[in-house]
Order: sequence, then structure tokens, then C-alpha cells
Amino acid sequence: MQQRLTPGQSGPSTRTGVDLVRVEGLTKSYGSTRAVRDASFAIAAGEIHALCGHNGAGKSTVVKMLSGQESPDGGTISIAGEVVDLRSRQVAQRHGVSLVDQELSVVPALTVAENLVLGDVRTPWVAPARRSTARLRSLLDGVGLDHLRLGLPLADLGIGERQLIEVARALGQDARLVILDEPTATLSDVESEYVYASVRKVAAAGCAVLFVSHRLGEVLALCDRVTVMRDGGVVATTPAGELSIDSLIHQMLGEAPALPDRRVRTRENAVIVLDVEALTVPGRVEDFALEGRAGGVYAVAGQLGSGASDVLRAVAGLVPDADLSLRVDGAPARIAGRPGAAARAGIAFVSNDRKAEGLFLDKPISWNLLATRLGALAPRGVVSRRRWTSALARLLELCGLDPERAGHAVGSLSGGNQQKVFVGRCLDREDVRVVVLDEPTRGVDVGGRAAIHRLLRDAADRGVVVLFSSTELEELQDLADVVITMHKGRVVGTHRGDTAGAVLLREMTHGRTEDEVLPAGSMDGRAR
Amino acid sequence: MNLATAAPESVTRPTPPRRSRSELVVDGFVVAAVVAVVVVGLSTERFATLANARAIITSASLVGIAALGLTLIMIGGSAVSLAISQTVAASGMVFLSAQSLGLVPALALAVVVGTAVTGLQGAVVGYAAANPVVLTIAASFAIAGVATGVTGGVSVSPSARGYDHLNATPGGVALSAYVLVVLTLTVEWVLRRTAFGRSLYMVGENRVAARAAGMPVGRTTTAAWLGAGALFAVTAAFTAAFNAAANVNLGGTLTFDAIAAVLAGGTPISGGRGSALRTLAGALLIAAVSDILLLRGYSTGVQVMVKGLLVAAVVVLVHLRTQERHP
Repeated sequence: MQQRLTPGQSGPSTRTGVDLVRVEGLTKSYGSTRAVRDASFAIAAGEIHALCGHNGAGKSTVVKMLSGQESPDGGTISIAGEVVDLRSRQVAQRHGVSLVDQELSVVPALTVAENLVLGDVRTPWVAPARRSTARLRSLLDGVGLDHLRLGLPLADLGIGERQLIEVARALGQDARLVILDEPTATLSDVESEYVYASVRKVAAAGCAVLFVSHRLGEVLALCDRVTVMRDGGVVATTPAGELSIDSLIHQMLGEAPALPDRRVRTRENAVIVLDVEALTVPGRVEDFALEGRAGGVYAVAGQLGSGASDVLRAVAGLVPDADLSLRVDGAPARIAGRPGAAARAGIAFVSNDRKAEGLFLDKPISWNLLATRLGALAPRGVVSRRRWTSALARLLELCGLDPERAGHAVGSLSGGNQQKVFVGRCLDREDVRVVVLDEPTRGVDVGGRAAIHRLLRDAADRGVVVLFSSTELEELQDLADVVITMHKGRVVGTHRGDTAGAVLLREMTHGRTEDEVLPAGSMDGRAR
Repeated sequence: MNLATAAPESVTRPTPPRRSRSELVVDGFVVAAVVAVVVVGLSTERFATLANARAIITSASLVGIAALGLTLIMIGGSAVSLAISQTVAASGMVFLSAQSLGLVPALALAVVVGTAVTGLQGAVVGYAAANPVVLTIAASFAIAGVATGVTGGVSVSPSARGYDHLNATPGGVALSAYVLVVLTLTVEWVLRRTAFGRSLYMVGENRVAARAAGMPVGRTTTAAWLGAGALFAVTAAFTAAFNAAANVNLGGTLTFDAIAAVLAGGTPISGGRGSALRTLAGALLIAAVSDILLLRGYSTGVQVMVKGLLVAAVVVLVHLRTQERHP
């Protein structure tokens, strides 16, 4: 359908042809690893084009090449029929490519208005304030942020609102190609709807949109065509109307994904490993409690701002003003604001911010995997080569990572494999009794997600407590034995992992309703 | 021939990265620059002589030892210490005034003073996340103030002749040069092979991540500064012995000379990378270039200016390489 768009309909930016952006034979290698090989696809003016693929399929590399962050080793990128050399973000922007990055790239110390013009190459050195105000105002309104003042410092905004600011900024750059790299990964459903609406508006204006996402439902609902990548190559470009979730997953994985067995077991007899009582974080969490039994997988489910993330960070010792009583294997530990003490007590933490608070991106995979167990590998302070090598080999195999690449900087891995390293760091350690993960599969595709779930399940089977937070129903139901829903800082309900998704979602989005004895009560398996 | 040791081949990094084409361009530029320096050196009269080689390594040795200490601080992500000169002056004064106790006790005492003073700053940086630049500026005034107050502003003279052993020149090379080589290898081994060394690289690259992982950020940072303090004190002992007197100006321009040597070796000020061998190379490179200029009859002003250009060029090259690897 998009193929039949005539230049007249698709706005002033197209001169000839239906394809506004054409990628041909794109190839990129990192050392001996071929991240992208011979990738070709085209995006028409006015089209919303999805790019899907699992861990390491090459999506991010394609995005980097299109946005000027990486130079291709071979192949061409043409925009409006002209072959372009996108040497840098600035050059790409001058050619009309704007990017909403996977990771937030807004500056908290600046105001909303300042962030909106940040990085815009057309910004004059001296900008007349009044004219730009009207333009910025309309940008904000377009993404549903009409309640925000332009002068508000960004630090006052939640993460979802910051992401929307970033979308607004990209849309405001009068782009011909807008790339959105997982724009909704951190957003609530309402916020996501604003992103969809803005994307549709931009496409309707004749812009080409490349939409990278792991949320397959939104891909099918929003996009016109879907290009799927696997192992660096393009598998197919298919009109979204001809795809279903299953056929899309089939294209991405080459086979039906093996979901882990759903095991709903009673663990009432297992010993209590993690005992949290009266956890309160002023203004964020009120009176949270948890008894984590050996081998159990516990989920704290809540949307942004529900306090789920704060509970996990407090248990990891990262919240100085948290007030809690915590015991690991019966031994009390004072950990508020002392992550070192939490680690010594046997709690390992996987943050939801892999870049800033997780991995050492410049360091090899091996260093990252072994960073938290140096003591065990270095008797008398000197690293034992034998222990280092054997621990590394075990972990690489456990996580399914290529031993050949153990010496590569972890930053050269795809997001999903980086996450495996991050999670793997906490596994296979005698001293870890509790693994705490804040959104363990954020921005990770179906295949990588299944692998990480399997890792966590296996860890639990070896007797540790796994405690994670998530907003995704599929993940909550696949992985958790017990789901604790939170809303506005309070626990709403405690459920077994087989509770209907609709019940969990309702509790997460609306809290406990007044007449909760009605349908919800008949469906959930409330433990208490 | 000293320049051979300063060539990038001898510079090791903790991770062997794959090289991209543009990295090779930068590397090629470095090799070309080193070749140019070698050619200029060889065409300079009296440069390629054994005596001149001794002169270069001797002149590099005192700055080099202090720069090794600064390397630990820089890798650990604490940027720089701006109190090196003052710490060296204070330790040197202690060293000379304690000569009546004998050489070894005096040396030990100087090391204790240097380690304590610098380690205290490290603890504040490591545990309380103080800004190292601000803190060490404050510390430099405090140290200089105390030293002036205690001595009444006059130079300290040695109370015995034991210190003169440090001025020995076995094989025609200053003892401090041998000590520099031994300490370089020791620091390099510590950085590569010990748990402390690996932690230091990771804390230096991403302190927030290290903290969230429960790694001992405060302890690792403090340990790096303690080691740095000991190395500053070794420099102090040699400097004081050479001058046979010490006052608050004993350290001279050592702070910035040491920073220049570390940077010229290609260790980035942002932390997480670098090595002791790099710093040795940086110290030798600066010494060799100054030596060439001296032999060719350029004034001190030109030498200092070229040192600045050299550091700037290396910093730019290191930055370009880092950019290439992590866009």
C-alpha cells in the first residue's frame, strides 16, 4: 500500500521514487565478528517501517550506521536517491536523519526547552526566545506533554516523561528519516500511546520512520512493513498485515522459541533465605515485606513510579534513606545506603541501567564476568591464572557466550549479550544467596529473554532466591513463582505465577479497587 | 636508543583490542612521530652516545617515580593530585632531618609521612567522593603551611651523611634510575596480576557501577593513594639527597612534570586505563625530547613549550583512539 504513494501525496521532501531511504548491501565487522552482512531494505516516504531481530541480529549496528555513529565497511545508504556518507551524527542530521536513542540522551540539569534544542544542528548561536517558544510548545503538545512548563528542569521529570522529551526533540528536527530505537521500552502504556500518535503524525507528514522494538504487538499494530534481521543478515521484509506474532517470532528465531517450563511449585517448606520487613522509603515505598524461600523466584510488579524499583534498590543497599529490617539466612544486615554491606550479606544486584550502573563497557567480557568474585580468584591478593581461567570457562558456558570473544570489550556486544554478562556476574557464586534484578530483560529480545529466564530459573533451582521487578505480564507469568503487585508505593496483592494477566495488569495500573471481592477475587490465587 | 623504549610497541594495555582501520591510521601517525624523533635524535650531535643515554634516564628518574604514583591515582579514576610537590617537599624534609637515625629508618619515616598524608586524601576521595582536584589544592596549601610552620621557613640540613648513598651512580647511572625501573615493573605487576589492580581499573572506569556491584570502592581508591604516597616519598628522598638540603620548594614543578609524564605515556585522565610501562615511556619521551632540544642549543623556554605541545598531541591521539573504539 505504501509502495503506491505518489510523490505528491508524500509531501515536499521526496522528489522521485517511492523509496525515500534505501540501504543496499550494508556490511560492518567488529574485528573478526561480522555484525551486519549484506543488509538491504528500503523505507518509503510516509511509511512506518519496523526493524526486528533477536540478540546480536545486527539491528543496533544498522541503526548506528544510519544515524552516523558508525561507518559501514561496505554497502551504501541513499536518501531521496542520493548516496550519502554519514560520517557523524551531525552529518546524518544535516541529511535529515534524526534518532531517538535506546538509552536516554537528555540532560537532567537543563530545562525542558534546552533539552528540546540540544544537539539540533540548525540552532543558531543566538536564538530569539519568543519565536522558538511557540515551536517548542507545539512539539511538547504533540507528545502529550502539554502540562509541562518549558522552563522546568528535566531532573524534576520521571523517566517516561524524559523519553517523551527525547521523542519530541527528534520529531522537531524536521527530519526525513526518524529512527526510534526502542522508544517505548521504558514507557507506560499511556505514554506509549503518545509515542505511537506522534509517530503516525510524522509519517503522515511524509517522513520515513524506522521503528526498532521488541514489543511485537506494537510492531504489528503500528508499522506498515517489518524487516527482520537474524545473525547480521536481513531475513525478509514483509507487510505487517501478512504477519502474526508467531510468524514474526519464527522469522526472528528461525524456529519456535523454547519457553521454559512453567513450574508452579509450593515452597512453603523451603527455608527462608531473604526476610525483609517494614521496608519504607520516604515518598516512594510504604511498609513492604517479603519472605523469600530458597529456590523461589519472586517478582515485584509495578509500573514506573510504583515503588517496585525502589524496593529492589533498597534491598541492594543503594537507597540511603530506606528504613528496613533485613535478614539473609537469619543473619541481620544493616545495608541502607551500603551496597558493599549488601554484597557481603550475599545479595547481588543487577541494575536496570546497564550502562551507568552496571557493566564496565571498556573492559573485556572476562573482567566483567569475574569483577565481583575477585577475592575468590585471588588468594593472598594475587589473581590465580588457574582459578581465573576455570571460573571464566564455567561462566561463559553457563551464559552461552562465545569463549573466543572473552577478551573483547563488553561494550562491543549486543544489548542482549551484555545483559547476559551482567546477569552471569551474579551466578555460580557460593557467597550469593539472593539475586536482585531490576527489569532483567529490559531491551532484550525474545531469544535473549528466554536464555536469561533459564539462567535465573537454574540459579533458583540451586537454592538462591531470585527477586526481580518487571512491568511485562509475559515475563511475570513465565518466570515468577510469586508475584507481588505494587501501585503508588504500596503492595496491592500477592499472587502465584499462574494468576491471570488481566488481574495483575489491573492491580499494577489501578491499584486495589474498592469492590475487590468481585471478579478479581475469583481469578487470582492470592497466597495470603 | 632510549627512544626505542618509548615507542608504542613497548606500551601494553590491559585489554588487547581489535584494531580498526582508523585506529591503524592513528597508530601509524604515532609510529611516524617516533621515527621522526629518532631521526632528529640520531642526527643530533652527541645524542646517540652512552653518556647521553645515562643523562636521559637519570633526568627522567625522579619525575618518573612520582609519575608512577600518579598513574595509580589516574587509573583509579581520581584524576590527579595537585599536591605532589608539597608532599615531596614535606617528605624530603623529614628524610633529611631524620638522618641521625640512619639511612633506612629515615627513608622509612619519609615513606610513612608521604603515605599517611596522601592516603588521607585518598580516603576522603574514596569514601566521601570528594573532588580530588579541589581536595588536593587545599591539601597542597595545608602541607606547605605545616612544613613552613615547623621549620620556621628555613631549609632543613641533613643531620648525618647517610643520605649520600642515594647519590650513588653504579655503572655510571644514577641509583634512582635503577629504582625507577624496579618500581615500574613492580607497579606494572601489581596492576596486572593482583585483585587490587583489576579492581582499580574497573573502579576507575565506572565508579557508580563498581559501587552498585558491591565492590570495595573506598578501600581500592584509598589503597591507590597510599601507594602513590609511598612513591612520592621515594622521589622525595632522592631529591632531598641530591640537593643535600630541603625546604618547602623542594618539589619545584614536580606536580606538573609528573602529570605531563603520565599523560605523555597515553594514560587518559578519565581513568580506567593506563599502565606503569606507559608512564615510564612517557617520562623517557619527555626527557629525550628535552635532551635533543638542549643538545641543539634551544633555550629552556623552547623546551618547556615543546613539552606542552607533546602532552597536548598525545592527549589528542589517545582521545581519537578512544573515540574510535567506543563511538
